[in-house]
Amino acid sequence: MVRLTINGRVVQASEGEMLLSVIRRENIDVPAMCHHEAVEPFGACRLCVVEITRQEWDGWCDYVTSCLYPVADGLIVNTHAPKVNELRKTILDLFLARHPKCTEIIELAGEYGVTRTRYETVVDGDNCILCGLCARICDRMGFHAISTVGRGHGKEIAPPLRQAPPDCTGCLSCAMNCPTNFIEYKVKKGLLTIWDKKFELLTCNKCGKETITREFAVHLSEQRNIPPNYFDTCDACHRNELAAAMGRIAAWDREVQL
Amino acid sequence: MNHRFIVTPNLCTGCRTCELACSFTHAVDNVRGQTRIFPLDGGSKDLWIPVVCLQCDDAACVKSCLVDALRRNPGTGAIELNQEVCVKCMACVAACPFGCSLLDQQHNIVVKCDLCGGDPACAHFCPTKALQWLPIAPARARAAS
Repeated sequence: MVRLTINGRVVQASEGEMLLSVIRRENIDVPAMCHHEAVEPFGACRLCVVEITRQEWDGWCDYVTSCLYPVADGLIVNTHAPKVNELRKTILDLFLARHPKCTEIIELAGEYGVTRTRYETVVDGDNCILCGLCARICDRMGFHAISTVGRGHGKEIAPPLRQAPPDCTGCLSCAMNCPTNFIEYKVKKGLLTIWDKKFELLTCNKCGKETITREFAVHLSEQRNIPPNYFDTCDACHRNELAAAMGRIAAWDREVQL
Repeated sequence: MNHRFIVTPNLCTGCRTCELACSFTHAVDNVRGQTRIFPLDGGSKDLWIPVVCLQCDDAACVKSCLVDALRRNPGTGAIELNQEVCVKCMACVAACPFGCSLLDQQHNIVVKCDLCGGDPACAHFCPTKALQWLPIAPARARAAS
């Protein structure tokens, strides 16, 4: 256990934890776009920057990305110091210049009082902030279907050779966790299209509701030992089946008691 | 793990108070959440089955989670979903054979019964004691009767 001070409050944390996790647990609102607890911290968006100092530093302080900074005894953290807010404003300003149409960034920048960018806006800018969260989550899920491709201006998130990725199972984790909702997918007539690859969606054999893709179900049953027939019905029909089965037992129980 | 969640379908009247209690207890940002318990028609007259997570020993939801967001809480015995870690891939929702891992469409999160961290609200509110949260010894007696 280590003890540190965050915004004047002494908090406890376990060794090896990162600052951002502790800050979030204390219900302090620090923005972060590239952070997800399921994957290792990456420090791509730089928005979780905080001011750290120590008693013995004699007034000197440092500005670090809290998602990548391990907690330590005696650390004094300020999450909303004037200089930190200035740093965040600059980052958001740059984001705004690069992604002028991104609603999530416009909203966050507005919270920090940045409504217009000081820099030259990129006219045909897309909404991908290149944080790589989608690729990192894909790796964590064990698929490794997408990654960052290219360098500098040409850098983007793409499947290998920019073709339909053979390892993708259409689990949609990348699209669901994209901080700017940039990753597009389409669901049409029982078909899911993502990364230019088409997937057949399984349908409930009782009510016809679409559930997960066939590839994902096959992956789960092969890698995780889930019986394939578990994927035949949707969650609501599963509940009805359970109620019917328990109902038969309860009815039989009643008859026996009479 | 010194308490057990006991469901007695014969006592259930289908009043759905448990649904309300669950929904209000699991409110997110003051908006009531998806209920984790479903009093469903048992197939014959006046028979209601409160369908709720069975906290399976070898749970399909835990096996299906590729990011280890589902863990058993040794204190309560409940399988709990860590919302921070969940990547919303819907694997557990599809894999649970009892449909007790589900999507909260309003908040766009996956939810499942966590026994309210060791004090289930539904058991408190059940007027007919169809749902009970009992210490182990009375729970065993209840199950035997």
